[in-house]
Amino acid sequence: MEFTLAAVFFAVLTVAVYLLTNFMYLRYRKTLLNPVLASTAILSSILVLGNIPYDTYMEGGSWIGTFLGPAVVALAIPLYKQKDLLFANLLPIISGIATGVAVGMASGILFTQLFRFSEELILTVLPKSLTTPVAMQVASNLGGIPSLAAVFVMVAGFTGYIIGPVFLKWLHIDSAIGRGIALGTSAHGMGTARAFEYGQQETSMSSVAMTLSAVLGALLGPVAAWLLLL
Amino acid sequence: MKVIHILLQLIAITGFYLLGEALQDFFNIPLPGSIIGFLLLFVALFLKIYPLKWIDSGAHFLLAFLSLFFIPATVGIVEYGELFSGKGILLIPIVMASTFLAMAASGWVSQFAAKARAERKERS
Repeated sequence: MEFTLAAVFFAVLTVAVYLLTNFMYLRYRKTLLNPVLASTAILSSILVLGNIPYDTYMEGGSWIGTFLGPAVVALAIPLYKQKDLLFANLLPIISGIATGVAVGMASGILFTQLFRFSEELILTVLPKSLTTPVAMQVASNLGGIPSLAAVFVMVAGFTGYIIGPVFLKWLHIDSAIGRGIALGTSAHGMGTARAFEYGQQETSMSSVAMTLSAVLGALLGPVAAWLLLL
Repeated sequence: MKVIHILLQLIAITGFYLLGEALQDFFNIPLPGSIIGFLLLFVALFLKIYPLKWIDSGAHFLLAFLSLFFIPATVGIVEYGELFSGKGILLIPIVMASTFLAMAASGWVSQFAAKARAERKERS
């Protein structure tokens, strides 16, 4: 970590762009203005148009990234606050999440293998349903590409966010527990944002699902990768 | 005063994180250090070894800015323009299809298990 003017500039720029897009999103509530998506688009455009290498940007960008690890630890607090709900519905919650994580990883591996993608890309797609910080960590541990893994996490998140409710209706998944677990397990925080529109119970279920699927996914990821490499 | 509170709690959370990283490194656990730190904190709260109010506002602060923290990583997509202009674009529908399958599986199983349990309770 070097303290250069460029590093300070890119760190400040990232925070500024984030605050701006966050403000716009809260004001207009349009899915496309999602702060992560909009900030990524703006900052990427700046790098491409200004011909700035990603490594130069990351001199400052990595400062912000260091908060990711502690932020994952902090997820223990919302889960702890939901502990009564969790223990009252332990079996349906755990069985749903475990099946979802396993099906998501297995189908991801199967489809990417079917189209003959490289092992590196298969391992990058593998953790897509987990919350971004965990997915990046899992991808990097397994030998995938963390920044690309973050992109697939966004694709999974938007899929759940935009098409999730229509899909759930079509599948007759209509209980609070079914909806919440489905959205949180397959589309992490974005799914949970959507669950918020159904109500309190769905939101709680979805945030429990997001957190637990991250833990289960971190455990299952190496197993899935090992099976793949057999 | 509030700022000092949050700052101290951030240090505590970082402590749990670093402990997780150290354990991962020492025992070669196949889990990210952050997840180990998460589990340690959850257990500490659950067993009431560590009180919630000593960590609540720091955690709230971190989680409020969670999406900011991974933006530098998502900007990394600039390095993969070539991938998505070729065959790699197929990875998008693949991820979408796999997301649907995960959603269907988790939703069905949890809904079915919850209903089965409710019916069992009714009968007994």
